[in-house]
Amino acid sequence: MTWRDIVEAIDKELLKAVADLEGVPNGAYNIRKNGRLLGREISSNISIETVKEGAGIIVTIRPGTVNESVHIPVIVSQAGLNDVVYNTFVIGEDSDVTIVAGCGIHCGTSQSEGHEGIHEFRLGKGARVKYVEKHIAMGEGKGKRVLNPTTRVFLEKNSYAEMELTQLGGVDEATRVNEANLAAGSSLFITERVMTDYKQTAVSRNQIVLAGDGSKANMISRSVIKGDSKQNFYATIEALAKSFGHIECDAIIMDNGLNETIPALKAKHPEAELTHEASIGKIANDQLIKLMSLGLTYDEAVNRIIQGFLG
Amino acid sequence: MLELKNITFSVTAEESSDNGAMRTIIDDISYVFKKGNFYAITGPNGSGKTTLTRLIMGINQVTSGAINFEGKDISKLSITDRARAGISYSFQQPARFKGTTFRDLLSIASGSDDENKLVQIIARCGICSLDFLDKPIDSKLSGGEIKKIELATTIARNPKLAIYDEPDTGIDLWTIDPMVKLLKTEQEKNDTTTIVISHNRAFLEAADSLLFIENGKIAYSGNMDGALTILNDLSVCHYRGTYDVEGYSGGYR
Repeated sequence: MTWRDIVEAIDKELLKAVADLEGVPNGAYNIRKNGRLLGREISSNISIETVKEGAGIIVTIRPGTVNESVHIPVIVSQAGLNDVVYNTFVIGEDSDVTIVAGCGIHCGTSQSEGHEGIHEFRLGKGARVKYVEKHIAMGEGKGKRVLNPTTRVFLEKNSYAEMELTQLGGVDEATRVNEANLAAGSSLFITERVMTDYKQTAVSRNQIVLAGDGSKANMISRSVIKGDSKQNFYATIEALAKSFGHIECDAIIMDNGLNETIPALKAKHPEAELTHEASIGKIANDQLIKLMSLGLTYDEAVNRIIQGFLG
Repeated sequence: MLELKNITFSVTAEESSDNGAMRTIIDDISYVFKKGNFYAITGPNGSGKTTLTRLIMGINQVTSGAINFEGKDISKLSITDRARAGISYSFQQPARFKGTTFRDLLSIASGSDDENKLVQIIARCGICSLDFLDKPIDSKLSGGEIKKIELATTIARNPKLAIYDEPDTGIDLWTIDPMVKLLKTEQEKNDTTTIVISHNRAFLEAADSLLFIENGKIAYSGNMDGALTILNDLSVCHYRGTYDVEGYSGGYR
């Protein structure tokens, strides 16, 4: 299938929302729609193989590959479909790549639609990856939109991963799981942004193990809870070595939203340095007053604050 | 250009610490601020200085009385409408945000995200480093940095009336004189009516008129010379003393 065929076969709005794609992606890509492969492009350094039709892919990045990217958006628009994939990314030593994933659900009927994506990252020594994942659901249908992403990251010595995980809206139910294991000298920066509204629920469970000396993890969570929605955030950093870990979780509650936030730190090594900061509350009044004193209306001020907070 | 007519601000039982009793914070103040003049407001802590300026900005609404700005009663207008009418406010303790940068605030304040325009504004405010623009306005900023940012967002509005609540808090001693000069320059060049709440002699001396607020009333208004007696008598200052490093504010607290 050519890129033009792909674009015609797909909801353009969704594709842009989940993968920032408008033109042909620069680099490798694998586009999946309603449980089937729609298009794939590989490069001399990046291979993409199907494990078993429908079950997922293995993306292998050759050692030393730099400045290349992989786009792997998934679109679900078929009533009643629950798409499950297990994707593995093997990122070669000393490579430096960007991976953009995302799932867009378009629900047009009263039947539920869902996607469960398990993404496993294996970073070789000195490898660097930037992973961007966006989840969004739209459409007029009354069916439940369910997105349950799991991200597992294994960082070998001196590797580096930066992960931006975002759920933008429209998702009725989400169970998000992030797990990581860090070898000596490796670093992991996770930023998770989740917005819920109406009666939506989202749970995020995070488990980071600092296994090697000098490893470093920073987990930032930003939640916006509107309407009657509910979000729970659980994060544990466990240090088994002389390492550094930080959890920063902030939740802004609007309307009647509810939130439970539990950061946990476990030092199983005497030289571990672990910190956390957590906050739950409405938008601070002094922020609103400041923006209104710059000429914004109350609603404009709220939007700007939320926009900035969710980055 | 700004006229306060018998304005009073009282807090209700639940906001008051006196369990049940109404407490008057601003007590029947009337005053006329003239266009393009520089005013300093001083007085003891808790006297009502900040409350008075918050009433002008609309952060709190007057209990009674009227606030006329350029001939119109603005006392029922929202903060937004007063800002759009040309009033700008620098907070003593500026708000800190997560995920909002100086650039964001400055763009909102000036109504433009044009890089050249933003750079011009910060240069005008004496901020030389362009890196400053992309600094997040969060808890990592020092007290001095956030005050400079606050000042810049106020100036970026090109206000007709600029209110600064203790702009020197957290600013190092050596930056105070340039700050006074900046506010004076803005006042003179743009004919900005300027109100500064301060305990610092540098600001008091720069003012055309000084208002001394005590117990929610104007205890004195006039020039600096006339104020010296009252300031000394009330033992709120050691005006004759020189700056020391710790008490850099000049002692009017």
